[in-house]
Amino acid sequence: MKKLKIILFVAIFSLIGCCIGIGLGWTSKKPVRHNFVIKARQYSYDPAVIVVNRGDTLNFKLVSMDVVHGFYLEGYDIDCEIHPNQKTFKLRHPSQGHFWKDTTDFTVIAKGYGKFKYRCSHTCGTMHPFMQGEMIVEPNVPYHASWGGFVGFMIGMISMFYLMIKKKL
Amino acid sequence: MTKKTDNEEHEELVLEPEGFRINLFKKFPLIKKFAKLKGFQFFLILPSLFIFYIIIISGLIGTPLGNRNIAIVVLWILWWFLLIAILVPLLGRTWCAMCPLPWFGDLFQRMSFFKVRTGKTNYLRNKMFGLNLTWPKRLKNIWLPNINFLILCTFSAILVTRPFVSSFVVSMMLIVATVLAVIFRQRAFCSHVCPVSGFIGLYSKTAMLELRSNDKDVCKNCTDKGCLRGNENGWGCPWFEYMGKLDRNNNCGLCMECVKSCPNDNIALNFRPFATETTLKGYDEAWKGFIDVGTSHAYSLIYLGSSGILKDWVNPTQSNNWTGFFTYVIILWLFSLVVVPGIFFLFTSLSHKLANTGRVSRMEAFKAYSYILIPLGLLAWIAFSVPLLLVNGSYIVSVISDPLGWGWNLFGTRDFQWHPVIPEYIGFIQIALLLIGLGYAIYKGFFIGQRLYNSPTAAFRGLIPVAVFSTVIALAFIMLYIG
Repeated sequence: MKKLKIILFVAIFSLIGCCIGIGLGWTSKKPVRHNFVIKARQYSYDPAVIVVNRGDTLNFKLVSMDVVHGFYLEGYDIDCEIHPNQKTFKLRHPSQGHFWKDTTDFTVIAKGYGKFKYRCSHTCGTMHPFMQGEMIVEPNVPYHASWGGFVGFMIGMISMFYLMIKKKL
Repeated sequence: MTKKTDNEEHEELVLEPEGFRINLFKKFPLIKKFAKLKGFQFFLILPSLFIFYIIIISGLIGTPLGNRNIAIVVLWILWWFLLIAILVPLLGRTWCAMCPLPWFGDLFQRMSFFKVRTGKTNYLRNKMFGLNLTWPKRLKNIWLPNINFLILCTFSAILVTRPFVSSFVVSMMLIVATVLAVIFRQRAFCSHVCPVSGFIGLYSKTAMLELRSNDKDVCKNCTDKGCLRGNENGWGCPWFEYMGKLDRNNNCGLCMECVKSCPNDNIALNFRPFATETTLKGYDEAWKGFIDVGTSHAYSLIYLGSSGILKDWVNPTQSNNWTGFFTYVIILWLFSLVVVPGIFFLFTSLSHKLANTGRVSRMEAFKAYSYILIPLGLLAWIAFSVPLLLVNGSYIVSVISDPLGWGWNLFGTRDFQWHPVIPEYIGFIQIALLLIGLGYAIYKGFFIGQRLYNSPTAAFRGLIPVAVFSTVIALAFIMLYIG
């Protein structure tokens, strides 16, 4: 019973922290269109980080600067194969199997909140498994919630010990 | 500043809930039966020895592409994850019991697969072969493993992506372990050299498994001391441990020799709560914690981040950016050996000042509180390792059919496509892991303070800076992972 009380006590602080974090980090902007040209090279993308807002329309053109690379966008069912010196690249939706089609670009609507990585899905060299970029969809709710939640958790733990010393918990 | 009052001198301590102990030998007698087998360790090592040979051979003759070679995929994706996320937190040094590296050395020293030789070698009642020299006193700590670990970390990008390099390093470790076994007593390599052993040893303090004596009084009155000295039933402890005094997992390799050699049947294999042991003996152990936190931050930034510049820096043999490489080396070593401990020292100094009891020195507080980096560091390493498995784990399926990258298709899975598992949820798993680590760090921090100052109020005051430090560390990881 005491254990449950303690867990609840700390959880409440964490939850309050989460809410404050989300509140402080919340942004709401009118959706706009972005055109990105992503250049892939061993073992990074340029731009390495793109920041967009939820609801924005994102148009991607993909270029390889050296060898064959991939572009797997987490959470968006997008996987591409980019060959060097070509204006087109291959695109597929992994959930629909291996049906590749040639294209010059693709468009998605930014959904969800937080960080979505784009990773190389085509073995491109020794460091291939670590080749990745980041698309941050604002507001980055998980990040702001974690900040607030962790600080709230710490305050909750410290308060818990205070109350334990004072024999109130 | 509040001085410790008379009230504080006589206040009641907040008792840490007593952790449970379940003797697995009693509950599952089959485990004890297995542990008592003369070939217990041999049976554990045999499968890992087989895999170890596959790794060495495929590293030498297989494709140089890491993610297409079983050496890299098994070693740095599968083994590493199993070690850090499952074996160490649950089973402590179990890996050390099945590690093939010291096996040839053991074999040389014992000249026997199963039979226990009796005789006299130094303090041992077993006949041991080799020079049996004592390990230098100055090196009887884990400073050497700490440095070796940092060296491996420095070259990690080359180590974990080039099968040949991995194979070479593993082979070298085998040779060094064997040579040291010829020269020095028992497992000198494991106790004082192996970089992985230092890592496992420290984090095995958190493990939910311990090998201990059932009753210390029985050990005290035992004249045989078979656990340490060996006898006709078992070899003397290869880790130099005497069960009557063993109260830490750091140097227990779970080889189970003491279970065989104890004349009083006084050994228990206990299941216990996570993070039970909270004492660090020396600065070498404290610094191991700092190094692990420092390197896990660096790894997270380099391998889980998007910076191409950093990847060029750590990969000079391909990028040819040697200036970048040396910059990285200086930053990594300074950060791990000086910056992290330096910041921690500032926080613990503040903690010491706030506690203000005069009972212990600032350095004692620094050393004692550095324990909090163990649960936090372990969970941070697990958080770092989760994406390695979930994102790149599918390579395991394809390399099983084509271990050398030669185009074989042994089980029909060679063309299995790379497919990350729940990549968009990895961040949430990492948040949960770091929160657990932070929780243990703060929780244990309070009781460490209470043990130091013998006062809950002083412990509470001392906890505040330590809790802030732990939170800052956890948030730095959060920033790297989801920020």
